Amino acid sequence: MAAVQQKHDWADDDELEETSTELPPPQKITNKDGSTTIIEYRLNDNGQKVKTTRRIRYITHREVVNPRVAERKSWTKFGLSVKDGAGPAPDTTSVGENIIFKPSFNWRQEAKDESKDPNAQAMKDKLKDKKVKCRICNGEHFTARCPYKDTMAPIGEAGAAADVAASAADEAAAASQGAAGAGKKGSYVPPALRGAGGAAAAGERMGGKYGERDDLATLRVTNVSEMAEEQELRDMFERFGRVTRVFLAKDRDTGLAKGFAFISFADRSDAVKACAKMDGFGFRHLILRVEFAKKAA
Amino acid sequence: MRPILLSGHERALTQIKYNRDGDLLFSVSKDQQICVWFAHNGERLGTYHGHQGAIWTIDVDPTSTILASGSADNTIRLWEIKTGRLLKTWDFPTAVKRVEFSEDGSKLLGVTEKRMGHLGTIVVLDIKLDVDAEQSDEKAMTIVCEDSKATVAGWSYLSKYIIAGHEDGSVSQFDGKNGDLLYNIPIHELNQPITDLQWSHDRTYFITASKDKTSKLITAKDLEVLKTYPADTPLNSATITRKKDFVILGGGQAAMDVTTTSARQGKFEARFYHKIFESEIGRVRGHFGPLNTVAADPTGKSYASGGEDGYVRIHHFDKGYFDFMYEVERERQNKLNQQQQQTISA
Repeated sequence: MAAVQQKHDWADDDELEETSTELPPPQKITNKDGSTTIIEYRLNDNGQKVKTTRRIRYITHREVVNPRVAERKSWTKFGLSVKDGAGPAPDTTSVGENIIFKPSFNWRQEAKDESKDPNAQAMKDKLKDKKVKCRICNGEHFTARCPYKDTMAPIGEAGAAADVAASAADEAAAASQGAAGAGKKGSYVPPALRGAGGAAAAGERMGGKYGERDDLATLRVTNVSEMAEEQELRDMFERFGRVTRVFLAKDRDTGLAKGFAFISFADRSDAVKACAKMDGFGFRHLILRVEFAKKAA
Repeated sequence: MRPILLSGHERALTQIKYNRDGDLLFSVSKDQQICVWFAHNGERLGTYHGHQGAIWTIDVDPTSTILASGSADNTIRLWEIKTGRLLKTWDFPTAVKRVEFSEDGSKLLGVTEKRMGHLGTIVVLDIKLDVDAEQSDEKAMTIVCEDSKATVAGWSYLSKYIIAGHEDGSVSQFDGKNGDLLYNIPIHELNQPITDLQWSHDRTYFITASKDKTSKLITAKDLEVLKTYPADTPLNSATITRKKDFVILGGGQAAMDVTTTSARQGKFEARFYHKIFESEIGRVRGHFGPLNTVAADPTGKSYASGGEDGYVRIHHFDKGYFDFMYEVERERQNKLNQQQQQTISA
């Protein structure tokens, strides 16, 4: 029976509420695990019916008290509580959430560890014996604040990595100086340009598959026929030297060439030769245009 | 431990008090009603109606038959605890800030406010511990505080002394019989009012709480400061626990002072200190306003706190609390146990 009551559909509930005007009698269901479910109905201030379901487990706890206390337990309620039934009234008495209270003589230390954010604590530990150090003059200030900032170059790039204590602003300034050259202190640096040098910047770029290609020996070939194939291009350029890569842009849906390609040579001198010879070469019905590929910005 | 939240008041609590058996808890607040609760489950037994102003203070006689309350409507009232019936009303020229029964319940003292040209006084009333008896209208004694008004006061052991805490941070000892001033000692910082004074179970020493952020344990006989408990916030209340040698302090930045002080956090926690070693051993949070009053169950099983937020929270201690001991305490305990066994075997 208990199971049936608990699987009561809310849709049925609604129907019940609309059809009947009287409050259903309170129900008491004893569950299998020894607890009791009490379902009560009442009308709230707006005249709406409110169903209260409480699941209670009774635990009998015996305690011997002196007769005076026992007598007081049987006193009738008075004042505002005169209408309350036996036991704590839910409108005045409630049970708070569990508090763990364990007295401890080194309470202060423990509380401190707990209260601090673990990340902040970890950072603090890391920085405990670090000092602010200028990369230009090794003075105890941020590099950005260095009086020799405009006149001297940093003492070796390795210092940058070790200097953990440098502020974020300082790092940004250093990055913009390193990568973008004429970056102003504190100005925005796009993600692609962050990092100490060109190598690092290239390494962080997306599409790492082509990241290592040597742009110096890559030719850009435009005005390629739609019907061209990678193998044809490879055959044409192979005669000037070893071709490491041929990329022909193709339309994803039709499979036709888009009209441009990149050819990478192992050696730059071969690329120079190929560039000179193949520019203006008639391939299929079009005249090829070949030039050195510009470095992707 | 799971605190029991009592939400019978609509305004800030001013005082809470257990009866001597520790089964009833009385609470008063600025909302003009007195509530009585069963301490073990938080059930409200009833309310007492009649006061016309904020109620500042309450006390219950040792037999738990009569209740006394002092209010901003310039009255002290006596109530029958069992039924909520008003037994007697005494009128005063100013508000009553503190009432306390003597150890045997035969006398009641009241502290009146200094206001409207009236000096602060401590009045003593004779009480007949019978709900049907006619209480006398006469004041048995009146002590006038000419220097600094008394904020709190209480009876020492055997009603021998009346001890009063003053607004200027000093503590006075008066003769309990004739009201003569015996001592007045500056105990707390000058002009930091004493906010609470609660007795040890035998009334030979007491604890004070002050706005100077400290609480002190003081003997009743010669006002000697035994212990000092420093806190980091102004204190509103302090109490001594039974069974374990702890004290509980309650306080917190008052809402009206938050903007004028540097403290960011409210520090609305009950602080536990070891009574002997004076070190802080833990805190219990929960209130979202300063704690105006704390009270320890005379049976040592629980404590309750009342806050500016209008809630009373009863905390029943669990095992970890009772097990806690300092190393020296544990060693002593072990030694005593050994001795006991030896005497038994001998």
